Amino acid sequence: MTHEPFDTLAATYALGALDGDERAQFERHLAGGCDVCEETLRESAEALAALARAEPRAILPPEVKDALLRRIAATTSPRLERPQPRPLVWAVATLAAMIAGAAFTGTFVASRYEGRLGQMAREAAALRARVQQDEAALREQIAVYQAAVDLLRDPTTRVVTLHGLGPSPEATGRVIWHPVSGGHVFVANLPAAPAGSAYELWTIGDGAPQPAGLFRVDASGRGTHRIAAVQGKPVKVFAVTIEPEAGVPAPTGPMVLASK
Amino acid sequence: MATAGADLIRQMAAGDRQAFALFYDRHAPVVFPLILRIVRERADASDVLQEVFWEAWRDAEGYDPSRGSPEAWMITRARTRAIDRVRATRRRSETFVAPLDEALAAAPADPAGDAAERAADRGTIRSALGRLPDAQREVIELAYYAGLTQTEIADRIKQPLGTVKTRIRLGLERLRDVVKTSP
Repeated sequence: MTHEPFDTLAATYALGALDGDERAQFERHLAGGCDVCEETLRESAEALAALARAEPRAILPPEVKDALLRRIAATTSPRLERPQPRPLVWAVATLAAMIAGAAFTGTFVASRYEGRLGQMAREAAALRARVQQDEAALREQIAVYQAAVDLLRDPTTRVVTLHGLGPSPEATGRVIWHPVSGGHVFVANLPAAPAGSAYELWTIGDGAPQPAGLFRVDASGRGTHRIAAVQGKPVKVFAVTIEPEAGVPAPTGPMVLASK
Repeated sequence: MATAGADLIRQMAAGDRQAFALFYDRHAPVVFPLILRIVRERADASDVLQEVFWEAWRDAEGYDPSRGSPEAWMITRARTRAIDRVRATRRRSETFVAPLDEALAAAPADPAGDAAERAADRGTIRSALGRLPDAQREVIELAYYAGLTQTEIADRIKQPLGTVKTRIRLGLERLRDVVKTSP
């Protein structure tokens, strides 16, 4: 009887490439004891080891050896130094060591991390508060944009350009204005108002300027402000002046932005 | 040399950490380049290297000298684990990337005294694989370095399974002869 099919199976098995039924078949054959196949496997492993030795050298990762030695030191007691304990004694000793270890670890971990957990809880609470604030600010901003977009859809809405004047010639602004609903003003390049003062918006029809609210700008010089609807005569001009931060009924300070 | 290696493993089985350190110094320089060639990523190769030596420490008692040299024992383990890693990665990414040999860097001088002998050995073996007919070399490389099974190789190179098997057998026979006859 020829041994041939098993020679091929052994070579393929040694390469790790045997699959399917043939693998099961070969493993059964091997389990039954076959010196020829054992020899083929042994020689194949040595030949493949020679292939590995032929690889160009590579710099070893320096941390691996230390990591292994630490791992070994941490998980094993030197098997050399002690006589083999009998299984039951061993089991009881292991169990006792595990319980003691768990208790010790538990206490240690608890005391070590209680303080840290408290701090983390405080940090988490502060973070949550900040996120809620940011979220509220974003929602507000989205509401403004939404309102502006809604206004722009209406054909009777006008967009009025504001020009920088006097102390802030670089400033620009737009008013989105609906004769019935009111509107929004968007400004840019406007420096922060001096301490104790704020920007006040005015709507001017045929008569005296009407106060239309106070606003501030952010660090980048931008600001947004909702303008309430104005009863009576249509608005012809929008203007912004610097006023005391409580606001005034009629303009007193320098004009920084105005429509033509 | 071979006996000394087997002794080291016996000492490891007895819990000798110093024997393990020696064992690592002796075999890691051979095992790591193979792992790196198979898995290609240095970080992955480093993980596999640690896993392979950890398992060698744990399974030292199971080493049977009649089945092969300590080096062959380690190389077989390293190759198996490296292929496991590649298969796991391939399953995740569903892509196959060809080996990048340029990931290999030149190493510092061999600390052992047998550098010249090993270099000569490398030359012999590399040319041995090089002397195989391309068709045989191809199937051996696809199996050993890319971890493909015989069926996958047949699919890949569009040849009947029987042809793949024959090429594997002939190629390995020739490699075995080279190793047996090289001093």
